Amino acid sequence: MDVHDLEPEQFLEEVHSFEFWFQAVEGYLSGLTWGHKPETAEVPQTDLERDRLITVLCNYCVGETAALEGASGLIGFAPNRQAKVFLSTQVADEGRHLEVLLHRLRDLGVAQPEAEVERRASRSILLFRQRLLELVASRDWEAAIFAQNVILEALEFAVFHSHAQTADPITREVLQGIIKDERRHIGFGENELGRRLAVAPHIRARLGKVKSELDHLVLDALEETMLSIATPQDERTRIGRTYLESVERLGLVP
Amino acid sequence: MSDPLQQQEDAAEAERPRQRYLLEDTGFDEVPKKYRKFYRKWRGAADELAPNEVICPVCKVVIRSSRELRPGDRVYCMPCMSRLVVVRTEQGTLEAHVAY
Repeated sequence: MDVHDLEPEQFLEEVHSFEFWFQAVEGYLSGLTWGHKPETAEVPQTDLERDRLITVLCNYCVGETAALEGASGLIGFAPNRQAKVFLSTQVADEGRHLEVLLHRLRDLGVAQPEAEVERRASRSILLFRQRLLELVASRDWEAAIFAQNVILEALEFAVFHSHAQTADPITREVLQGIIKDERRHIGFGENELGRRLAVAPHIRARLGKVKSELDHLVLDALEETMLSIATPQDERTRIGRTYLESVERLGLVP
Repeated sequence: MSDPLQQQEDAAEAERPRQRYLLEDTGFDEVPKKYRKFYRKWRGAADELAPNEVICPVCKVVIRSSRELRPGDRVYCMPCMSRLVVVRTEQGTLEAHVAY
């Protein structure tokens, strides 16, 4: 049977299920240790390269922590069972991301990774995390999903993809595994909001305000990251475009 | 407004039986095994798509069908959970648009 012959309801039931998630992640995570193949060897890095990588990974850790806390809080007021189950899989993904990134920091010689994250994290990504959690605490489903699964996840998806192309082999494998999870997260966010906007277009104005308030925080943090990993200007433009395409499809670009 | 010539071509195409494809696993590992043959990695701008393939605009994976795709067809991107509709662009190529 061609998968595209499924009825839309069958498709949604399938892809939001824990069983689908479990079989999907099994395909690319089995055999890995801390997010990479055990046999992948560390390559020499200069002190400056290593220091920059540590700062970048510290900022990634804040983003992943924000998504972990945000996704778990969202389960409590998700509008239906499919969304609740999907978010439970996202919580597991985000917990894994945080764990493998902290482990990578240890591999790079950071004795106390969590303290280092607090010391090095950019102000803008910390502020974003605070605002995201406020949206979750206020039980604003659309605004919180937009902030978390569209703004944060879409920008992370694009930056991790770019970083993976130039990273050392172990960091690349860790990021490639995270990117595969992020596909589900960005898709869930865009499709969930797209369905809601179709029946309640007035939500668009509120999401536009969230976008104005929050996306520059993530963009600022990622700009710092891209400078640290020496991302060429054309690639930085492409990354910004990936995010903009997503908000354009939702009709959130004025 | 759509191009009348294109409309004629689409009508002629609709009369012709669809080409069928035997799909094989290309190593795409982000969905359960039974669905893997319906997707492959996109290799960038130089990647030429077959008549049974479109790119997911949300996550940039190549979606594959066991039959030739035509405008109006529904396809699913399981890696990012999107439902899409195939449309013909002004350039005459096929692309997928998200159907929320």
